[in-house]
Amino acid sequence: MTLARDTLLLARRSLIHALRNPVWLFVGVSTPLLYLALFAPLLKHYIAHGNVLDEFLPGILSLMAFASGSGQGFGTIFELRAGVIERFRVTPASRLAILVAPILASMLMMFVFDALLVAVGAAFGFGVHWLGLLVLAVLLGLLMMMWAAFSIAMALLTKEISAFAAVINGLNLPVLLLAGVLLQISVGPEWMRVLAHFNPLYYVVEASRSLAAGSFGSDHVWQAFAVLVPLCALVLAWATRVFRTAVA
Amino acid sequence: MIKVDEHPDQVITVRALRKSFSGRRGKTVEAVRGVDIDVLRGEIFGFLGPNGAGKTTTLRMLTTLLPIGSGTAIVAGQDVAREPARVRARIGYVSQIGGADDLDTGRESLLLQGRLYGGDAASVAARTEELIGLLDLGDFANRRVATYSGGQRRRLDVALGLVHSPHVLFLDEPSTGLDPQNRANLWERIEDLRAAGTTIFLTTHYLDEADALCDRVAIIDHGRIVALGSPSELKREVAGQSVMLSLRDGADAITQATALLEPLPIVRELSALDGDLRLYVEDGGEALPALLRLLDEHHIGLHSINLAEPTLDDVFLRYTGRSLRDTGAGEGPEGAER
Repeated sequence: MTLARDTLLLARRSLIHALRNPVWLFVGVSTPLLYLALFAPLLKHYIAHGNVLDEFLPGILSLMAFASGSGQGFGTIFELRAGVIERFRVTPASRLAILVAPILASMLMMFVFDALLVAVGAAFGFGVHWLGLLVLAVLLGLLMMMWAAFSIAMALLTKEISAFAAVINGLNLPVLLLAGVLLQISVGPEWMRVLAHFNPLYYVVEASRSLAAGSFGSDHVWQAFAVLVPLCALVLAWATRVFRTAVA
Repeated sequence: MIKVDEHPDQVITVRALRKSFSGRRGKTVEAVRGVDIDVLRGEIFGFLGPNGAGKTTTLRMLTTLLPIGSGTAIVAGQDVAREPARVRARIGYVSQIGGADDLDTGRESLLLQGRLYGGDAASVAARTEELIGLLDLGDFANRRVATYSGGQRRRLDVALGLVHSPHVLFLDEPSTGLDPQNRANLWERIEDLRAAGTTIFLTTHYLDEADALCDRVAIIDHGRIVALGSPSELKREVAGQSVMLSLRDGADAITQATALLEPLPIVRELSALDGDLRLYVEDGGEALPALLRLLDEHHIGLHSINLAEPTLDDVFLRYTGRSLRDTGAGEGPEGAER
């Protein structure tokens, strides 16, 4: 069980580091709350019925999973520069553990922020369906894991911050815009709706609205899992390979 | 596959090791071209050469961080290509940039590293205390690494490479970036490790470091080992003394002086190194007056003159035709001339 042991040891370290970095904690909490406070009010007129948060908050949860995943590589670049990655790579520790442990630590933080966001949302009229949110958490975890593994692999391949930032930022914007995070893609023209089907984030966003409303039977839900599970496994396998062979 | 003789006291056995990288526009860069190394238990073996000579590439192959191009490498009794995990468990490696984490304390780093090598909590804790004593980390082990000085950080890096009591410790340019005092301190710690029986393989581009620490030195240039032996053996090969003449009048004077001095029977070897002439003579006391007289007669002015016992740099020059200091590698404290 060296994988589990190494993962636990390394995830604990990442978590301690996160807690020692109060600025990062503050940004993590405040960003989603800012979205709720400063963006949700603009949507009021576009939503025909029900609370605007029922529509908007699940999208923000998906956005947070996506953002915390795609930012993961910045930490990798930093640790690459500091020689920390190399220090771990030269031990017999499991390569998968070295890759996945910091992701799991970030994921735990993300769920804490998510819970906070849901609590604040509930105070302003967001209808909470516990079971739906639980299933959604699994989906968000998959999305975050996939994007983080991709981000870390890109960091290992580009090796330096400016090239990495260019790749990640260049990808982030189209993926975000084509997912209907802020406004539903269904209001867009047909070509946009077709294009969105090639975007994994789109499936998560659609499913997140269904799950938050408590409708498990929706096609969006099984479709999201059908897309995310194999994709996540594929990206993890690829990223582990990059980790094994990439040379700092 | 090349047959490797197993020797019980041999910690590293490398035969015909090669590595090339594909560079820009499909050009292949041969970083390591057929290196043979034998490191015995308990010795400090030095890999001396300028930056880009292939030292770090070799080291990274031996420590499993880089796939072997071709050839064989047996480290701590295990084949590096076939059993990388077993090799990792038996070696320690300290990279040029270290690897201690700013947000951890020194003690936390050591405890984590020990656990990653598979030790149980109690034995790792005991070993951590032992290393804190051995490398003199006690004053700052509970502070965050971000607050450490260069020398403190380096000692922690070395301790991190030793947490699992490896069969051999690899140090890549251990004293790069340290001030003279911290360098001296690190050298003392490395001497202590040798006294405790640790086998050490280090790379350096500092001649004095190789001279002071290493039992044996391999001089590497352009991916090949050009000389191998103990520092004193190597220096003995460059018999006599070296005379460094720094001329006042540039290129013309160099040509003139070369033509003048080279035919002299007392001059064994002569080479020009941007603005300076370096020559080897049997007996400096006898040769100097003759050399000076001759230069004076032909009105060749001198900036300075330096007579020295041969150093490893002279060995390097003899085998490569270049001075190690001219390769852009010799920044920082030198002190190679004695």
